[in-house]
Amino acid sequence: MTTPKPTAETAGAADQAADQVAAPPGRRRWWRILVIALAFAGPGLIAANAGNDAGGIATYASAGAQFGYRTLFVMLLVTVALVVVQEMCARLGAYTGEGLGSLIREQFSIRVTAFALLAFVIANLGLVVSEFAGIAAALNLVGVSRYVSIPIAAVAIWALVVFGSYRYAERLFLILSLAFLSYPVAAVLARPNVSEVVSQTVWPHLVPSRDFLLLAVALIGTTITPYMQFYIAGAVADKGIGPAEYQAERIDTIGGAIFADLISMFIIIATAAAIHVRAPLESAAQAAHALKPVAGRFAEQLFAFGLLGASALAAAVVPLSTAYAISEAAGAERSVGRRFREAPLFLGLFTGQIILGASVALIPGNLIQLLINAQLLNGIITPILLTYVLVLANRKRLLGDAANGPVYRVVATACVVVVAIMAAAALAATVLGWFGIS
Amino acid sequence: MADRRVSLSLASVPRAVRQRYEQRSDRLTRTRSVRDALLSLAGLAGRPVLNQAGEQIGRLVDLVARWDGQEVYPPVTGLVVQVGGRRAWVPFEAVDHVGRDSVRLRSARLDLREFTERPGEVLLAADVLDHQLVDIEGVRVVRPSDLYLTPVEGRLRLVGMDTGFGALARRLGPARWRSRATAEQVIDWSDVQAFGTGAGSGAVQLAAPRGELRRLHPAELADLLEDLGRAERKELLDLVSPEAAADALEEMRADELEELLSESDPGEAARLIARMEPDEAADALRDLREERRADLLARLPRQARSAVEVLLAQDENTAGGLMTTTMIRVTAEQTVAQVRDLLAAQVAHIADIDSIVVVDEDGRLLDDVTLGELLLAEPGTTVGDLVGPPWPVTVPPGASVAEIAARFGESRRLSVVVVDEEERPVGRILADDVLDMLRPPRGKFHFPRVLS
Repeated sequence: MTTPKPTAETAGAADQAADQVAAPPGRRRWWRILVIALAFAGPGLIAANAGNDAGGIATYASAGAQFGYRTLFVMLLVTVALVVVQEMCARLGAYTGEGLGSLIREQFSIRVTAFALLAFVIANLGLVVSEFAGIAAALNLVGVSRYVSIPIAAVAIWALVVFGSYRYAERLFLILSLAFLSYPVAAVLARPNVSEVVSQTVWPHLVPSRDFLLLAVALIGTTITPYMQFYIAGAVADKGIGPAEYQAERIDTIGGAIFADLISMFIIIATAAAIHVRAPLESAAQAAHALKPVAGRFAEQLFAFGLLGASALAAAVVPLSTAYAISEAAGAERSVGRRFREAPLFLGLFTGQIILGASVALIPGNLIQLLINAQLLNGIITPILLTYVLVLANRKRLLGDAANGPVYRVVATACVVVVAIMAAAALAATVLGWFGIS
Repeated sequence: MADRRVSLSLASVPRAVRQRYEQRSDRLTRTRSVRDALLSLAGLAGRPVLNQAGEQIGRLVDLVARWDGQEVYPPVTGLVVQVGGRRAWVPFEAVDHVGRDSVRLRSARLDLREFTERPGEVLLAADVLDHQLVDIEGVRVVRPSDLYLTPVEGRLRLVGMDTGFGALARRLGPARWRSRATAEQVIDWSDVQAFGTGAGSGAVQLAAPRGELRRLHPAELADLLEDLGRAERKELLDLVSPEAAADALEEMRADELEELLSESDPGEAARLIARMEPDEAADALRDLREERRADLLARLPRQARSAVEVLLAQDENTAGGLMTTTMIRVTAEQTVAQVRDLLAAQVAHIADIDSIVVVDEDGRLLDDVTLGELLLAEPGTTVGDLVGPPWPVTVPPGASVAEIAARFGESRRLSVVVVDEEERPVGRILADDVLDMLRPPRGKFHFPRVLS
């Protein structure tokens, strides 16, 4: 599926104006249907499916390659947590009409706010790195060296956004990333062992190894990305969804989260069925094997297209949203929405992230491992921001009767605590690993 | 709705307003003595509260200010003090002195009353600091990173706010930095439109509107509405007159307007739409969800509804969808003086009228007389005398934007008349509406708010 697409609906609106001049009514209607369909898709679906970006594909594929179907139970737990978290965020957006960042600034002290923002920025920087790694891995499949592809991609994405034609490129990336919809088909065609898939999904189990722990936290990080929580709360508020329409939005949010995780699980199943040597994923070419049942000898090209689309899309959107969040926190936001080129702080932050992200992705090393490590970083940061979400959703003074009830409170707290314990263990394992202890 | 941001006229209006403001000298934060005496709210929070003997009895949590809008600079009515595990209320009468890093009370004894919020008052640190406000002078939405207080005539009053990054940095740093008011970007409180208590907190109370709000251009008000959060936006709409609110709505971006109309109370939204120009109202309704649109339409007054419904039935990219039905129809027998009276009655729509249509007894178009022609004619002459070349420029309701633009290009007129098959005028298209459609969307980079 696709990466976050905050500009989709608004872009559609603005494009109507452009299309209106040149295009005959017939074509315009076609766009209108697409815009309506996207609007119907709702923030919940878009936000949750943001998890299936370059980092997500790499992590899910690696999970399938290394542990077969054994991570499916973890994914079941992650799905529950994702549903709970996304629902709380959507509820906060609908009942307060504000985004998460604004709520945090208004409800917490400035230092606590700054800490949240710092965590958000670090998590997003990890994502930017992984998007550039994704672009490099995709173009590697068609024989382009990362030392050529990353600099060109960085300059191209920067220029597309700053000079304003990004919106058209975005559509191309979006269509490319639809290639990953072939995963469920591939998973079925690969004839996986159905009884094993089912039992590994529902039978509670964990594998007691360091690698499994780190991968599980990476799975959490890529599925419950902090970016998604900020996006869904902001998008719900921005669409004017209020308490009256919240029931419909709730269905969209929960359905979107479940749909996104089904796709993720199909990626794991397809890869597990296609790769028989249980070892960490070494290259994108290996991951592409999973698409063989669908695309045959074109599997690598299909995988490359999808990965390139998903990565390029997010490589622009993630740094944009981070720059926006910081500009707003610093009180310089109001120049942003209007005239992009007149916002030096915003532009500086955007440029800085692109440069930093591309530079880190250029450091020699295994691209797939870099992708997974970026998700691991996200997974370690996730519980920090989840704590803020939980505290806000519990607040009666903020949400009134829509605040978490006692049962919901227990479930949500349990989710956050489990995620936090796993993240802490992963952090400890990583730090100990640096000193050669494992 | 097309994006109508008239940046040229916009830039000139606030400059005039700003100059007017700069000449004012009665604003408190502009005087040096007040500037030196400013107390920082962020610096005061958490400071020790001492009794007369100088012993600490608790810590300052928050200041409570009267918020009924009677006074320009809200007076502090009391303190919230953390004493042990309790939050106690201390009326301001019991306070002897508020210093930069401590508060001293008058008596040794403290009557510990549990703090409860009262109507007409707000907690400055909890409800105002870091919450959205409107800086009327600068025409922008800001979040104060600090609030400044100073004693005025024996009362501690809220006199200004700081929006600078320095104030934020000061609050992030160690406690001893905090109390020094940096006062780099101070906005006098008389230039601030504050709101009630903001999002979420059930008991919404309205702040009093500042008179300066009236001076805002509709496009400026639209900018403010776009930038505010949901609760504040609703409050600002309530604070300005319904006419001003409707004018501002016409200037808002399509997606922001859609959001506003979706989230607000249907009755209120319908009242605003009823006051908008029919073509703008139709554009706004077109973007809404089916049920919402039907609901709002049903709430419109009969006349407004029929006008909007006619427009809604048209394709928005044809002459029928672009036109406004606001038109003045006259017959050849009417005198110029009568026509001028008709114009005076339509003064609210004058921006959408650049000429009047003359029709025969069957309602067919005879001519399109510009306001210039009317201005130069003798009051006693009849409209019939003015009929003659240049003849009106007309388009059918189904004409495309490109065709309309071509007609404008050939005729060099400011508006064209839309006529049906029987040559009866049904509406008018102004050149600026076509301009909006032709303008490329470049440079309008929009991104959903993450933090607001």
